[in-house]
Amino acid sequence: MLKSKFIPVAIDQAYQRRQKDAEGEFYRKIASQGPRNNFQGTTQGLYIATASGKLLVYNNNRGAERIKRLMKQALDQFKPEKVEPVAAGKPDPRYNPKPPVGGLVVRVRAKVLGGYPETDDPWQKIFQSAVSRDNLWISKAEHETLVRGQIPESLQKRLARFHLVDNTRGEPPMWREDEIRKLNLQLKDGRLTGIVHLETQNGDCGYQAEIYGIVETKAGQVTRFDLVAKGEFWGEGRYTRGAPKGKFPLAVTFELADGSDVADAVPPQGSRGWVQGYIRD
Amino acid sequence: MRFFLAICAVPMLLALSHAGELSETEFLRLHKELRPEPSEPWRTIPWRISLLDAQQTATKEQKPIFIWAMDGHPLGCT
Repeated sequence: MLKSKFIPVAIDQAYQRRQKDAEGEFYRKIASQGPRNNFQGTTQGLYIATASGKLLVYNNNRGAERIKRLMKQALDQFKPEKVEPVAAGKPDPRYNPKPPVGGLVVRVRAKVLGGYPETDDPWQKIFQSAVSRDNLWISKAEHETLVRGQIPESLQKRLARFHLVDNTRGEPPMWREDEIRKLNLQLKDGRLTGIVHLETQNGDCGYQAEIYGIVETKAGQVTRFDLVAKGEFWGEGRYTRGAPKGKFPLAVTFELADGSDVADAVPPQGSRGWVQGYIRD
Repeated sequence: MRFFLAICAVPMLLALSHAGELSETEFLRLHKELRPEPSEPWRTIPWRISLLDAQQTATKEQKPIFIWAMDGHPLGCT
């Protein structure tokens, strides 16, 4: 039903509720008709609206049967009408970050490999087996350094701070620079190896892992950037509650994005609101 | 001397066994394990990531817009 009867769009509303451009205005027009119409706070949920911006249905429930009912309810209310496309105008640059020209986009996935207690709860089962997805951005200068067979310190730090996180149950806290206790990656003959130790000051959250990877280049371009970090993670964040008790195994993988997946165009979670702080050479 | 060698050997063996946990075989296995299959149902949905793109298509196809709006990008966070 979603594929045939609707135009599906997925957004991080933290952007749209703030951005000062046509995209933001259209979102706020729809969301302001729902119960979450204070744009100083979250407006997350499922909205079904017409192309003119009339809200048909809002709900923040994720139960499949309820969503199906709401979709049918929206279809009953929907009346096709002639509407002009909204002109894009000038996008708000703060909320439209683009991958660095000449750089790379890398898919990042994470999975908790064990440590959860057994459960019959279907939602917990989903969280316990979830694989997360984010993107790592690599600058042009860093790309060129990789082609020369070295791994720049700026890339090592970005990879560790913003991507060696447990984001399998929600938005994770990122590591501060002073929480990098050890970070030593080497690139030799196309093999990337190293270790990392990240830990908060009070020790309530940390990750100690090995990293292994294969980096290949051809004609001045990185053509393969396959990495795996595997180690022990402990702790959780405000929005990632429900982590296994104590230390648990976490794997994080990296591979070059080729643009074939729509998610390849999503900005890194760590760049949210401050892309200059995320991507620094 | 034998005691000294034994003392040195313990951390070396520990280091080797730790390093062995992420062999090339294990690296390849995990890299594959975390890559979702293209046939998974959620991957077959033609998601857009721009609301204006969706609005433009909705005007052409005369369909309602289904907006999945989350804190953190639904396709790129978790």
